[in-house]
Amino acid sequence: MYHLDDDEYLNVPYYRKTRSVCPECLEPIGAEVYEENDEIWMRKTCEEHGKFKDKISSSAKYYKWTHWAIRDKDGKVIWKFDKDGEANPPDCGVEDPRGCPYNCGLCPEHLSTCSLALIDLTNRCNFNCNFCYANVQKSGYLIQPSLEEIDRIMKHFRSKPIPAIAIMFTGGEPTVRKDFPEICKMAKDNGFKEVIVATNGYGFQKKNGGLEWTKKVKAAGLDTLYFQFDGINNITYEKTRGIKNLMAYKQRVIDNCRKAKLDSIVLVATIAKGITDIEVGNIIQYAIDNVDVVRGITFQPVSLCGRIAFEERQDLRITNADVLKVIEEQTGGKIAMENSWYPLSTIVEFGRVIAYLADVEPIEFTCHPDCGFASYMVVDPDSGEMMPIMEYFDPLKVIDFANRFWEKIRHKEKNQLRVFEELLGDFGKTLDNGLNFLDKTQLRARFLLGVLQYMKKPGKLMEMFSRLLMRGDWESVSSFSYGALLLSSMHFQDAYNMDIERTKRCIVHFGVAMPDKSVKEISFCTMNTLHRPIIEKQIAKKITAKIKNEFDTTTGQSVEEIEQEVARNGGINKKEDA
Amino acid sequence: MPEEFVEDKDGMKIRKLAELKTVTNKNYEEAMLKRIDEFKEQKKEKSQFNDVFQNTFFKALNTAFDLKVQVDKAIGEDNLKKLHKAIDDILLLGL
Repeated sequence: MYHLDDDEYLNVPYYRKTRSVCPECLEPIGAEVYEENDEIWMRKTCEEHGKFKDKISSSAKYYKWTHWAIRDKDGKVIWKFDKDGEANPPDCGVEDPRGCPYNCGLCPEHLSTCSLALIDLTNRCNFNCNFCYANVQKSGYLIQPSLEEIDRIMKHFRSKPIPAIAIMFTGGEPTVRKDFPEICKMAKDNGFKEVIVATNGYGFQKKNGGLEWTKKVKAAGLDTLYFQFDGINNITYEKTRGIKNLMAYKQRVIDNCRKAKLDSIVLVATIAKGITDIEVGNIIQYAIDNVDVVRGITFQPVSLCGRIAFEERQDLRITNADVLKVIEEQTGGKIAMENSWYPLSTIVEFGRVIAYLADVEPIEFTCHPDCGFASYMVVDPDSGEMMPIMEYFDPLKVIDFANRFWEKIRHKEKNQLRVFEELLGDFGKTLDNGLNFLDKTQLRARFLLGVLQYMKKPGKLMEMFSRLLMRGDWESVSSFSYGALLLSSMHFQDAYNMDIERTKRCIVHFGVAMPDKSVKEISFCTMNTLHRPIIEKQIAKKITAKIKNEFDTTTGQSVEEIEQEVARNGGINKKEDA
Repeated sequence: MPEEFVEDKDGMKIRKLAELKTVTNKNYEEAMLKRIDEFKEQKKEKSQFNDVFQNTFFKALNTAFDLKVQVDKAIGEDNLKKLHKAIDDILLLGL
């Protein structure tokens, strides 16, 4: 994508070597990523368990466009991604000689700092989805960190050289915890700007007390719901969650958030072939129709767990490129794959420039280009229709300008101007501060002009974008994002398609409080593919009959009671349903 | 059922095409303005949106930007490319 003057590399077949794991024994093995029939595949061989092959992308052209091609001295194309993170010191040494991903974490091999911190608040849940890894009933043990342990994890993430700005509570269903409001407040007190809960909506949808509870958690500091939302049809939820009439349950969440003015919901759709991929258009329209509370949609192509034969795997496998194609089809080509979407890592330098010039905490999206794609949908002031924000400006030119600008000024980040300090002591230091302020002001003006020259449409949104460029603070970012709908597609890895080059650059990290008072920081995909069973055995709490049966610690309801109200029939009794 | 839906044999409602032009579009701007009001109220004088100087600056910038869009249209694509290159060179000069 950074090859503004050369797109011939798109005709060069993709090939690179990497490392992966055996899906059977999870031992490290070499792997090759290569192009075949206009698709990108991974092949690998375990000496004990044989050969494995899995699809990485259904569009070789798009995959190559989002990757980096470097020409060596002979003009040969080498596929190499080298946007590594900055200020990313390790938390632990290399104890396991097998290297990444067995030493989480974070070990010295990790190349990105954490942008989104995750804490599993509990493995209790009012749902019983058959594919989910976190379930107290299935595992037979309880994972539920204490407030002290949660605080320790938060402090760990906030004390890093580049502190994590956002935190997400996961589970299980985090809202079954009685102390959930207190945990949200704790996150704000620790300095997290964005406090998010990944939820099926349980605490928010309750018929009795749901609205009051929603108001309470908002007041405590909760900013955003990362809201499980597979579609608008009850039948979809029956297939994905095994629960009838769940749409009414989902709608109550939206309604209560609207009433409580908790107006930042991201709909999260797990995309499975033939089940939820046909709902993509429905979900986009639902988000647009609920713009007052819905800020974005994240599509997550399903990850495959367990032993699955090649043929069956190919039936189930859906990649980011497939999701983008489906979105293009279901929006009549208006959100087109080839000009609407960019990998998150595209804006690394852009973010660094803004953070440096505005003196704000940076967010480092130095993840691998395969991890996720994003696009903002905004309103076209001319037609009144939603369109990708890329229509507002020339994205490649903006990115190119930001990259060149950062290359020129990056040395200033570490070497501030010091002209008068040695001559005049403290007074000179004050003069130097003034000089640095002036320098940054002129740099801000240059950057603003440089980016704005590529803008194509005027309006209030562009005013907010200018504020974002100049100030980079949370007010600007947040206000701008409220004027747009963020679409993203994030494909988490499993043992079949794990690419260590991706793993090393993960920016979404779990924090786990260990019994020895330390905190382990583990990248998302390796936690769920490799580490979870081992880690959980170390931190599992003794389970009692009371814990097993008591799902909702707010009310002390039993499993049976909750199933009647929620998990069987979406909270609708038979009379209403009829 | 609205016309834009089709129903499959399982009773699943599928939208023929996601309609990107909706009556709610205006709400995006309203949501943004509401968010600005929230910041104004929450952070009082600390909010940039309560700062007269900054509000004036960005309003002026927006007006200039409107003008720039008109000029871009008038000068044609080739000239615009040359102009962008020249501006890039000036802005990166001496850094």
